[in-house]
Amino acid sequence: MKYINQVVTVTRWEFRRFFKPKNEVMGIVIMLLMSMIFFVAGRFAFSDSGEKPQLTLLQQTDSALVKRLSVDFKTEMIPEAQKPLVLGRITKEKEGILLVEEGNTFIIHAYKKTRVLKKLKTALDEHHKTRMLQVKGLSEADLSVVLSPAPVKESFIYADNSNSRIILAFFFACLMILAVFLSFAYQFTAITGEKQLKITEQIVSAISPQVWMDGKIFGITLTGLSSMLTYSVLGIIGGVLFFQFTGVPVSTISAYLHMPSILLFLPFALTGILIWNALLAAIASVITDPNNSGKSALMMLPLLFVLASFLVTRDPDSRLAVFLSWFPLTSATAMPMRWAVTEVDFWQPAGSFSLLVLTFYLLRKLAAKIFRVSILMSGKEPSWGEIFKLVRSHS
Amino acid sequence: MNLQAVSDISFSLEQGDIFAFLGPNGAGKTTTLRILLDIIKADSGLIEWNLNGKRGELPPAEHIGYLPEERGLYTDIPIIRSLVYLASIRGMNPAEAKTAAMDWLERLDLAGRAKEKLQALSKGNQQKIQFVASILHKPSFAILDEPFSGLDPLNQEKFIEYIREINQQGTTILLSAHQMSLVEKIAGKIFLINQGREVYNGSLSGIYDAFGKNHIIDLQFRSPVNESAFLNLPGVEQVNNPDECTVELTFSAETDLNKALSELSAIEGISNISSHKPGLHEIFLKLVKTHQ
Repeated sequence: MKYINQVVTVTRWEFRRFFKPKNEVMGIVIMLLMSMIFFVAGRFAFSDSGEKPQLTLLQQTDSALVKRLSVDFKTEMIPEAQKPLVLGRITKEKEGILLVEEGNTFIIHAYKKTRVLKKLKTALDEHHKTRMLQVKGLSEADLSVVLSPAPVKESFIYADNSNSRIILAFFFACLMILAVFLSFAYQFTAITGEKQLKITEQIVSAISPQVWMDGKIFGITLTGLSSMLTYSVLGIIGGVLFFQFTGVPVSTISAYLHMPSILLFLPFALTGILIWNALLAAIASVITDPNNSGKSALMMLPLLFVLASFLVTRDPDSRLAVFLSWFPLTSATAMPMRWAVTEVDFWQPAGSFSLLVLTFYLLRKLAAKIFRVSILMSGKEPSWGEIFKLVRSHS
Repeated sequence: MNLQAVSDISFSLEQGDIFAFLGPNGAGKTTTLRILLDIIKADSGLIEWNLNGKRGELPPAEHIGYLPEERGLYTDIPIIRSLVYLASIRGMNPAEAKTAAMDWLERLDLAGRAKEKLQALSKGNQQKIQFVASILHKPSFAILDEPFSGLDPLNQEKFIEYIREINQQGTTILLSAHQMSLVEKIAGKIFLINQGREVYNGSLSGIYDAFGKNHIIDLQFRSPVNESAFLNLPGVEQVNNPDECTVELTFSAETDLNKALSELSAIEGISNISSHKPGLHEIFLKLVKTHQ
């Protein structure tokens, strides 16, 4: 009971230390403002792209081609004698295009290669195709029949691996990345900060390193989850508004919210974040000087495991995907992703989750031992060899 | 590097004691205190607690108060929140902790700054908050490592009063400090450690009886004087030159002071003579030097 009370006290303290609703709201407001600024600035930046680019054609150009090109370009017809003059203008003004037809070949004169030329080539392709059909005596309808794909009807027994499920799987992975970044930031600040402020001795004289460690893991996990929840709710509201304004029914968003996958994701995500916080706390406790420690880079280790989970979506039934969904450092993300995009037997998430929980239990014990021997160290930073030697001697 | 910080020491405290744990820098004081609190483990030895009639290992945190030598509190969090948290992890009810913390802040003239962050306070005031954090939960046993460091003389005197007060309210005190003049005002028992080993263990009166019977005579001169001129005076054990115009002579306990003074009166250029018995400061220096 005393252990629980102490862990609850430390958990609440760590949570209140880092989860600040005012800052959270400020962050969201700043994010929305930045999005609006980028949207407006983007619209302004591309506002001149609506103007048709200048295209100069020779007077003898096929009238059908001229008509087609007039759709995308501001056309100008010139006699052949003025060709050098137009070329000179293009060189001087660094814009404009001159199109010359020589036999079956089109020659494009421009100052440099631009995106506009792609549009011009598309129009020329269409014109060339139509002309060839006429030469070969084929109608457009005949050509369409020849080029049409084989008529195939698909019938699947498992049809849940839709795009919406893949998007949901990616959403899970993105939330986990957010959680890793938040855990990294908070855990790093919490522990190295306390070491630098020399608070540690006062705390470890009152509570055991295991209590302190567990309180930190739970408190900062709670902080990460609160932020994840805030951003998820914001994402859903944003999605609803997006559908509202684009005329798509709001109900479309429900296609993305596959409840069984979400319900499976929650315990996996929670346990995964707890594992990472245990790992991060152990690493952070070894770091004496956060600015010069070579061990700081290790704090990014959990991110690699989350990124590895993205491989699941390539082929969720491959051996690699199955391994990732069972391996405790990746399963928190990979198993819910696999569950969302492919058919997984029920015993697999059950087994993977049991392994995940067991790993968390053992890792928090190991992390507390590392924490115990390293939290009071100052001066020269110990090597991992020295740390494990000390851990063994304290066991 | 392997370093033996503490070796072969033994001491005991009675409930209600104010016990001073003294020694020069690096003597092993803080290491011993950390071992007592199970923050670090000793390679061998036994620590036995018998607090409030309960015998056994280290008592629960609510019975222990600790002011560590390495000071630190959350600088970016309001003072009152830090105090309540630190008392809470030692088992105190948060509401009671808040009331008790406000009472202490009132006494320290810091009540108006309870909601400020610690970093806004001066070093001395931060030290006061540290002290409050260590005894707020009314522990039965408090270890105070360097409680007077960073305090001005006025506040040092106030802290002596606070320590006396919590002791009278039932807190046994183990005190480590370098300010001998302050220690001798409150401590009843002394343990002197040097280079990790015991030098003295006993009562304060006992240390005076054993090592404080010498006579010290301070001579002030109008012009610089050489200390070697006093070495051959009868009964002189030690000559110190605190500055070039002052000489401090330590005579053995058996020396006839009248005879010594008549010898001194023959010396020219003396502007002032005073005498006193050795205080804890002098005894400390003597014992440490002898031990080395």
